[in-house]
Amino acid sequence: MIHVKNLLKRYGDLVALDHLSLDIKEGEIFGLLGPNGSGKSTAINCILSLLSFDKGEIEIFGKKMTPDAYESKRNIGIVMQNVAVFDELTVYENIDYFCGLYVHDKSERKRLVEEAIDFVELGNFKKFHPKKLSGGLLRRLNIACGIAHRPKLIILDEPTVAVDPQSRNKILEGIARLNKQGATIVYTSHYMEEVEQLCSRIAILDKGRVIASGTQEELKAMITLGEKITIEAFSINEQELQQLRELPGVLSVQWIEKRLVIKSGKKAGSLEAVLDFLKTHEIGFGRIYSELPTLNDVFLEITGKQLRD
Amino acid sequence: MFAHIFFYRFKCLIRDKQLVFWTLLFPILLGTFFYMAFSNLNDEESFHPIHAAVVPSGNSHYDASFVEVLRSVSKGKNRLFTMKTAASQAEADRWLKAGKIDGYFSSGETIQLTVNESGLNQSIMKSFVDQYRTNSAAVAQIAKDNPNALQNGLLQDLSDRRSYVKEVSGSGAEPNNVLNYFYVLIAMACLYGSFWGSKEIMDIQADQTERAARINTAPIHKLKAFIAGSLAALLILFTEILILLAYLRFGLKIDFGPRAGFVVLTALLGSILGISFGAFISAVVKAGEGLKIACLIFVTMAGSFLSGMMYQNMKYIVSQHVPLLSWLNPVNLLTDAFYALYYYDNLYRFALNAGMMVLFIIVFCAGTYLIIRRRKYARL
Amino acid sequence: MPVFKVCLKIFRKNWLSVSIYIVIFLAIALLISATSVSERPTTFSQKKARVAFIAEEQTPLVKGFRKELSRSTTIVALPDQSEKLQDALYFRQVTYILRIPKGFTESVLSGGKMQLEKTVVPNSIENTYVDLNVDQYWNLARLYAAHDPGISQNGLASRLRANLSGTTPVVMKTENAAKTSDSFSMFYFNFLAYTLSAVLIMGISTAMMVFRRRDLRMRHYCSPLKQANVTMQLLAANLLFAGASWAVLVGFCFLLDPQSIVTMNMLYFLINSLLFTGCIASLSYLISTVLKSLNAVSAVCNLITLGTCFISGVFVPQEFLNSTVLKIASFTPTYWYVQANTRIAKLTHFSWDHLAPSLYSMLIMLAFTGAFIAIALVIGRRQQATN
Repeated sequence: MIHVKNLLKRYGDLVALDHLSLDIKEGEIFGLLGPNGSGKSTAINCILSLLSFDKGEIEIFGKKMTPDAYESKRNIGIVMQNVAVFDELTVYENIDYFCGLYVHDKSERKRLVEEAIDFVELGNFKKFHPKKLSGGLLRRLNIACGIAHRPKLIILDEPTVAVDPQSRNKILEGIARLNKQGATIVYTSHYMEEVEQLCSRIAILDKGRVIASGTQEELKAMITLGEKITIEAFSINEQELQQLRELPGVLSVQWIEKRLVIKSGKKAGSLEAVLDFLKTHEIGFGRIYSELPTLNDVFLEITGKQLRD
Repeated sequence: MFAHIFFYRFKCLIRDKQLVFWTLLFPILLGTFFYMAFSNLNDEESFHPIHAAVVPSGNSHYDASFVEVLRSVSKGKNRLFTMKTAASQAEADRWLKAGKIDGYFSSGETIQLTVNESGLNQSIMKSFVDQYRTNSAAVAQIAKDNPNALQNGLLQDLSDRRSYVKEVSGSGAEPNNVLNYFYVLIAMACLYGSFWGSKEIMDIQADQTERAARINTAPIHKLKAFIAGSLAALLILFTEILILLAYLRFGLKIDFGPRAGFVVLTALLGSILGISFGAFISAVVKAGEGLKIACLIFVTMAGSFLSGMMYQNMKYIVSQHVPLLSWLNPVNLLTDAFYALYYYDNLYRFALNAGMMVLFIIVFCAGTYLIIRRRKYARL
Repeated sequence: MPVFKVCLKIFRKNWLSVSIYIVIFLAIALLISATSVSERPTTFSQKKARVAFIAEEQTPLVKGFRKELSRSTTIVALPDQSEKLQDALYFRQVTYILRIPKGFTESVLSGGKMQLEKTVVPNSIENTYVDLNVDQYWNLARLYAAHDPGISQNGLASRLRANLSGTTPVVMKTENAAKTSDSFSMFYFNFLAYTLSAVLIMGISTAMMVFRRRDLRMRHYCSPLKQANVTMQLLAANLLFAGASWAVLVGFCFLLDPQSIVTMNMLYFLINSLLFTGCIASLSYLISTVLKSLNAVSAVCNLITLGTCFISGVFVPQEFLNSTVLKIASFTPTYWYVQANTRIAKLTHFSWDHLAPSLYSMLIMLAFTGAFIAIALVIGRRQQATN
């Protein structure tokens, strides 16, 4: 549905997008994950033909994307990073205005606007002006303005920034529902939990490059980390730590604030080996946690830095 | 589509109370203040008799006729002087010092005038003496040439002064300084309309607001959306200017000359000028709303100042010393267009001003077009 | 003094918007000081009108008349085309266009009723003298024609030249006139009313709006500072700002018109303007308690300053204003300020008798100050009660 090839975008000396390629298929929820400044919004704006770029090709719905590609534009819905609505217009009027840029038939539009209002649950606020809405409600209005015309492709650029958890969940649920109704979704975020929860396929961006892409499972399979084990251990000496590190399957061991953090590889059996070791050396331990790797771990292992500081 | 955008832009703009205040209510209130301040200025100034004194010389040859003439103009309701006779020069000096009189005449072979300062009243006193002196000289000369003249009613004829000038208007209307204030006011309101134009640009240029970016992603030609919005802005501004004109014309009875059609046309030109100017500035000055507003206010206020809104002679100082500036000042062009319609019989000067305005509009529109036609941005 | 310091910081931040008024004010003041004569004339002078002289006949008498007229006016040569003449009037190259119609001389000499035609810029005082001079010349010509028959036109012209020669000697007792009467300083201090109002209302109201924000007020309320203490600190900051604005503006007057500094009048100008500063400062405080947004402040600021200044005689002298307008204006402090100022400018004696009217105006200004503060306090109490 969206085909981006070798996209290069420079801001002066700074390379914002470094030969970026993406392939987004119909019906999926595609996540663009990356830290702030990794080029997510730049990529989106290039795809939307708002930004000029130095090199590369962009196709949407199989056609080259240009500012005049009205047929393509008609089927795209866009939710910007910042709330983009008119303070002078009410909730209803704002949605109607933006919807009217796509849908000319009045009665059809009326139905769509009402649906959009129901969808974001702003029914009680139709006559409100945006200034009177709280942050979460404003975000929902922002989304309604982007999706009222029932686009086939919806691009959401960090729609949940600065939104309380409750509203965030509502928004995420809504996006999933839109997808079920048949829309292809492109979702950018620097919250890995959101992306993990929502997206069927993910591209991780760093410094304008796609450093990894695929389904969650594919991504997690790329890295050596299989499991992260945390054990409350009361005392352990340097020698024993060293011995632990040499156990088969163990990748790294850290002892921080009476917790052993052990990263192990994908083969099973590491946990048992560690527990055996502790027992035989009579090292007292309390609770044990085991976690599967997250996208943050993927990012960490590929780039050597945290997704979020 | 066009109608949809036009309609919503209209709603958006008209609900901006602050803009409506500055472009409509403010000029109306300012006009009312002008009216209150200047309502008396064009009326005939009411003349108050001048407090004056005469110090007789003691020589009746000189005193008699002079004091007689003074008395004759110090009688009745429309008298020129409220005259006192001082016993001595010292007394007259005292009166003068205490501000009881504006000046005093000292009778004698040559009549002398003593005053504190050179003001209007003092000048009238001097003119009076001048006239008396030349009259006396003429009478003496005629009496010498023709001794019979005195019997033949020379003095009667002398006092039977005739007015040898009559006022004719040079054109349909007489020059009127006060009108300029009201014309500048309309011009200022038109230029304040630039805020509407600026708002249109900010809602269409994707690198200025997110709203504009959103509109840019919609399947509608940018220029078409911009024109629809600008027409909404123009409709609002033109309506406001017409309301202002109507208030000035029918509420405050300000004279706009006999050519109502052209006055409305000028208002339309002014509105277009204001909108296109605002659009142009807003397109050129990308950085920050504050800077844009500062630019618009500065040009409008400086332009109004140079056209004489705060200090009327400013207009003439500019046209005398820096004529180019008066042709480059849009506020002045608009003001002069209104004045030309009021003042001149033919439309030559109006056409000149209107032509210059059209030129400005073309420049602003072309400049705006060149900037907004690009629809992809290097950065947002 | 944390509140005091922050308040001063806000003033400094708003300096730009306030300085616009000061710049415009100074531009006008500079222009006026440049166009007005700096030295007070010590000899009597009459303003000369600029006259366009269009003669349709060239009789000896007309020629003599032109010569005579050129003594008391400045004659500007203009082509006899109505467009050019209209332009000249419009752009003030001349204020008086005099046209001598064909056959006029003959008519005067035979006692006819033909008249010269003038087109003028209205309300130009100097035009009055042109009328007087024109009438005088032709009245005398008529007199000669009637009573000195047989005199040739050339003879008549030379007689008239002789009669009209010479001037009336005028003694100016400059020591009697107040140095400040109609001086630059008087104008400056009148006009100061506008700038001071704008600067103070803009500056003080804007800063006070910040402190009146609900969250900030509640935050102050929670702090260990006493409410009275906060108020005092704000007051001190506002007074400092008002005093500084006053000092800056008055300072420019000293630069532009150094002659007036040493007069007693200046002392009273200063007292009067200082009282006015206090009055407007308290008005600004009142405005900030009533208004809710910064946008409203700039609207109200412009309306109040321009409105009061126009009807109180800051821009147009009070003697030219309509009496109804003046009655309305007397409900504003600006009216009393301007009145006191104009009176002070004319003072040459500073005894109680002479000063009393000015002091009376100042007293009314003080009453306004008190009223503004009282109202502001009452409203402030109410707002606190409702929050």
